[in-house]
Amino acid sequence: MQQHRPSQVISQGPKQGESRGSRWLRTRKSRPEVKPGSVTGAARAGQRSQRRRLSLRAALAVIGGRAAGALSRRLRLGGGTSIVGLVAQRLYPDIIRHLAAQLEHGCVLITGTNGKTTTSGFLAAILRDAGLRVWRNREGANLLRGVAGALVVRALPNGNLRRAGQAISVFEIDEAVMPQAVRLLQPRAVVFVNLFRDQLDRYGEVESIATLWRQMVKELPETTTLVLNADDPATASLGELARGPVLYFGLEDLTLDLSSQNGQGTPGAYQAVDSRSCVRCGSDYQYSARFYSHMGHYQCPHCGLVRPAPSVRALHVRQDTFDRLRVTVETPLHEGEIVIPLPGLYNVYNALAAITAAQALGISWAPIVSGIEQFKPAFGRGERVQVAGRTLRLLLAKNPTGFNEVLRTLFSEEVPRHVLFVLNDHIADGRDVSWIWDVDFERAKGLVASLTVAGTRAFDLALRLKYAGFAPEEMTIIPSIPLRALQAITGPQPRGRKGRGRIKDQPRQRQAAAAATSAMTTSATEEHTLAPRAAGPSLPGYGLATALDQAIEQTPVGETLFIVPTYTGLLEIHRELERRGLTPHFWEGRD
Amino acid sequence: MHGRHEARLTLTLGHLYPDQLNLYGDRGNILTLKRRCELRGIELRIVGLGIGDALAPDEYDMLFIGGGQDKEQAPVAQDLFETKGIGLWAAIEDDMPVLAVCGGYQLLAHYYRPAEGPDMKGLGVFDAWTIHPGRRAPRCIGDVVIRWNGMTVVGFENHGGRTYLGTARPLGRVLKGYGNNAEDGTEGAVYRNAYGTYLHGSLLPKNPHFADHLIGLALQRKYGLRRLTELTMPPGEIMNGSTPAQLAPVDDPATLLRPLDDHLEWQAHAAILERLGLYEEATAALQRTVAA
Repeated sequence: MQQHRPSQVISQGPKQGESRGSRWLRTRKSRPEVKPGSVTGAARAGQRSQRRRLSLRAALAVIGGRAAGALSRRLRLGGGTSIVGLVAQRLYPDIIRHLAAQLEHGCVLITGTNGKTTTSGFLAAILRDAGLRVWRNREGANLLRGVAGALVVRALPNGNLRRAGQAISVFEIDEAVMPQAVRLLQPRAVVFVNLFRDQLDRYGEVESIATLWRQMVKELPETTTLVLNADDPATASLGELARGPVLYFGLEDLTLDLSSQNGQGTPGAYQAVDSRSCVRCGSDYQYSARFYSHMGHYQCPHCGLVRPAPSVRALHVRQDTFDRLRVTVETPLHEGEIVIPLPGLYNVYNALAAITAAQALGISWAPIVSGIEQFKPAFGRGERVQVAGRTLRLLLAKNPTGFNEVLRTLFSEEVPRHVLFVLNDHIADGRDVSWIWDVDFERAKGLVASLTVAGTRAFDLALRLKYAGFAPEEMTIIPSIPLRALQAITGPQPRGRKGRGRIKDQPRQRQAAAAATSAMTTSATEEHTLAPRAAGPSLPGYGLATALDQAIEQTPVGETLFIVPTYTGLLEIHRELERRGLTPHFWEGRD
Repeated sequence: MHGRHEARLTLTLGHLYPDQLNLYGDRGNILTLKRRCELRGIELRIVGLGIGDALAPDEYDMLFIGGGQDKEQAPVAQDLFETKGIGLWAAIEDDMPVLAVCGGYQLLAHYYRPAEGPDMKGLGVFDAWTIHPGRRAPRCIGDVVIRWNGMTVVGFENHGGRTYLGTARPLGRVLKGYGNNAEDGTEGAVYRNAYGTYLHGSLLPKNPHFADHLIGLALQRKYGLRRLTELTMPPGEIMNGSTPAQLAPVDDPATLLRPLDDHLEWQAHAAILERLGLYEEATAALQRTVAA
């Protein structure tokens, strides 16, 4: 059995309010600075000129990167921080190491398939409440250029960070770039939230990420604390390889076991399980409790590998309202109730990950509680937007496990919901959408008040829903681009809406007109009898703006429309809401 | 549901390695077969066959085998060879319809040579073999369209290995995408009624004609044409209104089946074709629904 090594930090237990500038948050390591007198004059001069050269290059990188960012924003090419980082890295490949070394309190890296953004959001809120100045990379900008960008935009033209005192960075990092990120950033703690199947076509397979992580953990310095999910065998097993301290978090509320919940939800609901065989010997794990996918209390019947005992534990999880979870959390030093202002069991794990990371950094209990309870969800993680008397809730779902958890959250109360699904297949979403067949849409059957399906792969998703038991007539399908062949056969589809302020009755009038036309000409030619058919699904146009309008229109005033998009679908929704003046510009930093 | 309809048609689908080979939405293929049978009053029983389970060919009318990760594929390859090989061979030689996708397809050929590690021995049902050209070689990823039986079949492919055909007949010619090896324009392999392909996405939902082809083959094999019509109650309920007099062997046994409302299926099919610039094929695909 794996034993976690309790970190010194926790056993010391700093008192509340002591965190600001306390010795637990002392400078992680000194800057690459030469102490006068410690070296000979010649060497000193050499080093000084070397340093000056590096500073010059850093300054050049900062200026170049920021100029590129300004240009990109001016030309409205996009958010900007990635291009800032890209250019800065071109000009000075070591810019990340150079700037990160100046952070007074170092940095924490957060990785995993699902929950990176929310976990780093929780942790940032906690650290801010502890009196630190927290810098983050923009959500989704989780490749190295995003990290470089986040640092460069806070740097001065002389190549030094602005106000680096009291600063700590929380970076969410893409699973596949962790090895490089760790080498450049020398983090104080690394948080592994989970490992699921995601974007197969980008990374090959789950196993290759696991291999990459194992190699990386072996190379971590002893000073880096590892924060691991005890309930996820793929990430928990990393603890065996670590040289430094390891802290585990996990769920202990056995009433959440799927097998004990068959009364509610779909009996025998399909679960996408992405990591089923023992990392050590390859046998299938046995679960005494399973919470979702492969998360639970497992052991290997063959080699005896068991789930490590977590030090940060959720003892009870109770749902207050749709998006308020009351969780009893126990750590080696505290036990208390925390209200998580987000829906879904996956957010309990995200909160536990942040709490554990905060403890690894020596943060006291009060900012942990306030940070989580006051947390404002990031866009697409349950955020609320008011539109025309309706509430929109955005719930990102980018892979089978994430999608299943969103569906469980939406439909476990058996209340009919208004839903807009957006399925895209751009590179950031993963081009391969076959995973939708592993999502348990069957559980939503009979619980959907209105259903709109949109995105570049709207038809694929509509078909999936048809096979889950939804009649095509129940769905409004609005693909990103019109289906030309359909126009050739049944006449033109209504156009996508370009400007603001759409006339609501227009499509209906058109449909009525089309029906009338076809009725009049039915006897004339045979082709026309084949025209609009009741059996086909409703296709009232194309484009995300139209989809949003349709979905809002189908949601009565005062009710909530749940929008469940993939990653780029979320960005498109964001842009569309922003165009309507409903959200802030997404590239403006929130920190 | 049983009882009164004694003559109810029943098929049994053997799903090989449902726990190990399930990476690319293979569940969609199973759901599609089940639903398309049920809508026609055919009961489709699905039996999972895991590692260690024997394959008795008499107990099944159809077999499906999906794809998985390399790590999970190795024990499967061994089991397939040692435990199920003889049963599977017997079934295939007896014209049982078999659909093998991605990893399953590779395992039904002679061997799979991974980028690292020893070869995985396959069953050699298809005279073909697969070589992974190394970690640095790009994977074959993207939408793919092939021409099969004069019709289009659409899907998504995602494979590192390149499959080369010996004497095996390809399933179809590649219109867009990579196919077996990105070189010779072939996709998949066919031996008797066994079909190997890289197309997933899932394959069958968006290709109802191919799904019906498999169901038709299984019915024809189990019941025979004449008996199939006799059993059909009421007449025309399952079959396409054919009378025994018309029962000459058919090229595509899918035509034996009563057409379903496949508007959405063909729209999804056509949407893929249009994304790849195949507008004429898209119109042809949609016209199939209209004609039905």
